Amino acid sequence: MTMKVYAYGVIDSNEKIDEAMKGLNDAPLFNIPYRDIGIVVSDLNTQIQKEDKKSVLKHEEVVEKLMDKFTVLPMRYLTLFSGKEQVLLMMKDYYDDFIENLDRLREKIEFGVKTIWPGDLIRERITTAHRKSDNLPLVASSSGKSFMKEKFENYKIDKEFEEEADRCIAIVDGFFNRFIAEKRLEKLKTDNLLLSASYLVDKEKRDDFKKAFEELRGSGGDLKYLLSGPWPPYNFIVLTKPNAKKFGSLDMVDSVFQRKDRT
Amino acid sequence: MDNPIKTLQDKKSYLDLRKQERVTLLEILDRALEKGVVISGDIVISVADVDLVYLGLKVLLSSVETMERLRGAPLSGATEEPT
Amino acid sequence: MNTMIETDSPEVFADEMEKLQDALPKKIEANPENAEKGLAKLVLTLIELIRKLMEKQAMRRVEAGSLTDEEIERVGETLMKLENKMKELKEIFGLKDEELNLNLGPLGDLL
Repeated sequence: MTMKVYAYGVIDSNEKIDEAMKGLNDAPLFNIPYRDIGIVVSDLNTQIQKEDKKSVLKHEEVVEKLMDKFTVLPMRYLTLFSGKEQVLLMMKDYYDDFIENLDRLREKIEFGVKTIWPGDLIRERITTAHRKSDNLPLVASSSGKSFMKEKFENYKIDKEFEEEADRCIAIVDGFFNRFIAEKRLEKLKTDNLLLSASYLVDKEKRDDFKKAFEELRGSGGDLKYLLSGPWPPYNFIVLTKPNAKKFGSLDMVDSVFQRKDRT
Repeated sequence: MDNPIKTLQDKKSYLDLRKQERVTLLEILDRALEKGVVISGDIVISVADVDLVYLGLKVLLSSVETMERLRGAPLSGATEEPT
Repeated sequence: MNTMIETDSPEVFADEMEKLQDALPKKIEANPENAEKGLAKLVLTLIELIRKLMEKQAMRRVEAGSLTDEEIERVGETLMKLENKMKELKEIFGLKDEELNLNLGPLGDLL
């Protein structure tokens, strides 16, 4: 099994880190410096499964320890390199992005707020209401039309369901807007998981934010809430390099075509 | 001599603790598996999943979005936010 | 671990979040034994994408009232045939609906 380099996160320091910290498989951690920043890594000589719970927890533990002393850009779990040279090449490529992120995320923390609502019941309610009114602009007299009628009914139900979700989400989100620098909202990851939100908060606004969550929790209704954090800013990393996974980027299109030409 | 109430309370808080652990792990997985600094390229030898297929599909999605922009109207229910 | 979780209902959240983890393997396996199946998955996923986009577009036009009765009938017939064809193909390759999805990392799932 060849030696690989496992990366935990990019930090805003090029100095040596505390020798006592250990990473996966109890391997020592190093900070590989690149200009005025660094990337914390450890050597790895075993295969790690994606679903290996202990390894993920270890990864997270390392990143959070680093968070105490530095601004950290946490790597996605299981980011490996074949050697130190490759790591430095990557740092060179992404230096500008890393600097921008480190500056933007300094002294900030991520909180997660999840909301569960009775999606199943709401969908049922909407469906029943639609069946009752049946004011669809279609008369189902033949197979094509019947098909369309049913699809259209489902379409309308879905649409109303999502509109109701948006309304609820706006209310929940509204509790936090005053205290945040940035946010990422994931809506309806399941029918019942109304909202999975990540909020970027100044460290000094941490208590205000938690108070806002308590207000939300006390606001009544049959929604359920979960607060988690503080997290390293997993959800607020923005990379602009062509290789980075960015939606709708024309650079991305170009680089794919270039890749084709090369082969 | 066991106080039955005490035992029951212990069990409940033990179960609560297990639930908390479950949620904590899920929250960590939710972040560390898919988010953070996501690098792809020849020098990275192990990235989670998608690779070539993903790149190909992004071209498709990017083209749809570009087409919509050029037409000046959405083709489907595509939203503006990535997630 | 530093991070804390605060909630009145940990089990409800755990259940819901586990549903997301359970979403089936998203990798296109490319080894000789199941290369065919992997390719079928990819192709069918893309067809499903296009088919669903077409359906959604049709629904919007019905909503806007911009289809004649005849057009509704024709579009309906076509979409119905497409849907049935897809069901056939899925059966032939032994693929379930949940399998026809691709995780695009930070973008979430394709379908």
